[in-house]
Amino acid sequence: MAVGSRTGPGSECQDPDWATERDPSPRPRARGLTQKTPTTNSGGGSRMNVGTAHSEVNPNTRVMNSRGIWLSYVLAIGLLHVVLLSIPFVSVPVVWTLTNLIHNMGMYIFLHTVKGTPFETPDQGKARLLTHWEQMDYGVQFTASRKFLTITPIVLYFLTSFYTKYDQIHFVLNTVSLMSVLIPKLPQLHGVRIFGINKY
Amino acid sequence: MRPGPGGCCCRRTVRANGCVANGEVRNGYVRSSAAAAAAASQIHHVTQNGGLYKRPFNEAFEETPMLVAVLTYVGYGVLTLFGYLRDFLRHWRIEKCHHATEREEQKDFVSLYQDFENFYTRNLYMRIRDNWNRPICSVPGARVDIMERQSHDYNWSFKYTGNIIKGVINMGSYNYLGFARNTGSCQEAAAKILEEYGVGVCSTRQEIGNLDKHEELEELVARFLGVEAAMAYGMGFATNSMNIPALVGKGCLILSDELNHASLVLGARLSGATIRIFKHNSEFAAEFTAVYMRIYIFFSCFASMEGSIVRLPEVIALKKKYKAYLYLDEAHSIGALGPTGRGVVDYFGLDPEDVDVMMGTFTKSFGASGGYIGGKKELIDYLRTHSHSAVYATSLSPPVVEQIITSMKCIMGQDGTSLGKECVQQLAENTRYFRRRLKEMGFIIYGNEDSPVVPLMLYMPAKIGAFGREMLKRNIGVVVVGFPATPIIESRARFCLSAAHTKEILDTALKEIDEVGDLLQLKYSRHRLVPLLDRPFDETTYEETED
Repeated sequence: MAVGSRTGPGSECQDPDWATERDPSPRPRARGLTQKTPTTNSGGGSRMNVGTAHSEVNPNTRVMNSRGIWLSYVLAIGLLHVVLLSIPFVSVPVVWTLTNLIHNMGMYIFLHTVKGTPFETPDQGKARLLTHWEQMDYGVQFTASRKFLTITPIVLYFLTSFYTKYDQIHFVLNTVSLMSVLIPKLPQLHGVRIFGINKY
Repeated sequence: MRPGPGGCCCRRTVRANGCVANGEVRNGYVRSSAAAAAAASQIHHVTQNGGLYKRPFNEAFEETPMLVAVLTYVGYGVLTLFGYLRDFLRHWRIEKCHHATEREEQKDFVSLYQDFENFYTRNLYMRIRDNWNRPICSVPGARVDIMERQSHDYNWSFKYTGNIIKGVINMGSYNYLGFARNTGSCQEAAAKILEEYGVGVCSTRQEIGNLDKHEELEELVARFLGVEAAMAYGMGFATNSMNIPALVGKGCLILSDELNHASLVLGARLSGATIRIFKHNSEFAAEFTAVYMRIYIFFSCFASMEGSIVRLPEVIALKKKYKAYLYLDEAHSIGALGPTGRGVVDYFGLDPEDVDVMMGTFTKSFGASGGYIGGKKELIDYLRTHSHSAVYATSLSPPVVEQIITSMKCIMGQDGTSLGKECVQQLAENTRYFRRRLKEMGFIIYGNEDSPVVPLMLYMPAKIGAFGREMLKRNIGVVVVGFPATPIIESRARFCLSAAHTKEILDTALKEIDEVGDLLQLKYSRHRLVPLLDRPFDETTYEETED
């Protein structure tokens, strides 16, 4: 496998445009250039790129579409719930509220707070300031994974409201938590940083 | 700026078989309309028993079992959580920090780099880093000597114990025909030329770097491939990245396969053309809403991580339908595929004139370095004047050229022995045998039956490290790959077969792989082949596979 340098001085053609909407059909899409450049840094250890198997510029964008991840996600919520249920002296409504809160907090942290990619990508850091939600499918809105990740907290919210018997305090907590997880997912808030929080 | 279609004829390749007839591709068969029946290309296809493929094309990419996928995500999830924990401990100095960090005085400034970008390297890659970059100390033929190293700080630094692990079976080199040797006729010829011509020319082809050896090589390559002319370059990667901008420009369309190599992608990007990417080996029915000057289809013959072979007959039919030019990158398949080793065109029994630009490298099967482009004489003459590599890059070094000439003559049989033919046949036999035995054992193997690159699926991140280490303990060196070089649930071990591997070596390797497969529970396949079946699976075999 040849060792290539980072992107050359060529003109930008059809690069993934993060903010526009595009049809994610599998037919020839205007997805722009994908590049796999196996760089080897000698200093701190090279990456595991012994030549890439796919020309995906940012593998993070495809993680939520991979086989079995939705099922794993649902199972993880179930596991969290079961673990919380096994704590003694905690009532069922509290357990459900805790599940909802912890799930939404985790979702907020991993999808809407952590920015960039855990590995170096050959796109010169286009995704460095973007959260995982914004990176998904290269910014295309209303894809299947995005819909799934929007619906899951809502379904969890319904279940929680039912099992807490619509109690007022639980309602307030759960609703605030749901809003904190739904509002960042709106397409209007793509790339928006309120009061400059989490900008860099 | 390139001239339009009416411009200088030397910028366009003119095909010998004239204009394209209007055919349709349906179910892999080409049907021609009555008016176009006279075109030679159509008759060429129709005479193949009405089909495009002369032999069965068996390619399989078995889907990941769901349980395995879920467990893989659990694995990555656990590793991620532990990664965050360790980063937290390192930040608060509870744990010793081995990687580079900014100095205390610089912490108040804008950070130099994003720590998170190395999360994966720090927390996942470092744990199993001993599986890569293993230093070798012998020629990497069928067996190789590896220097033993130990780490006392969990792979952050290595110390050499002084031992050398001798005779490790080498399943990682792209040594398809076994020319990675330091003895034999190739080595002697190269040594002689080294004394005559020296080590290098220190000049570009267009200045004073054009040796008679280069012309001899190019003439030989052209004869080998069956094309009119060829041109050789010093670096395989640069062959693509420097020549595509010379051939393609703004206003052209490039249809590029998903799994194309970085060099093709870089060359396409440098050229400034419009690029569309399509899924690997899928048919596409494109509607061209804009008018393009020239349409190019870029293909790599072998996706080196997948082990699949491009469906060349269909691609050529498609190319003729859209009146496009085909640029074929045969980096891995030249020398390795085909009954006479002439690559994928030979493998499918097609006419080399159907491929407009045949590109390949000398790095894999010929044991040298560099690349070539073959095609019509007009194309090559154009490239001699306009290629960026010819103008700015140093030409091939003479001993390397001699190595290529000797090995190519050996493959063609022109050195008087049948060694070349035997190597090609040995590789084909090794490939089929190895793949069949692995499938019988129950591993999931990707790719085409005839591809000497054999990816064995591991899936879970922990098994990547375990497999590499267990194989080295058993004296076999393999290449393992994981995320992000592969999709997240498709980590694999990649075996590269060689004509230098004898059956005994393969049997030893297979026995060890079987053992490790049982130990690590890698036998995921749900389609078990009946071991007694020696012929390829076709429509006449009924109850042979147990699902």
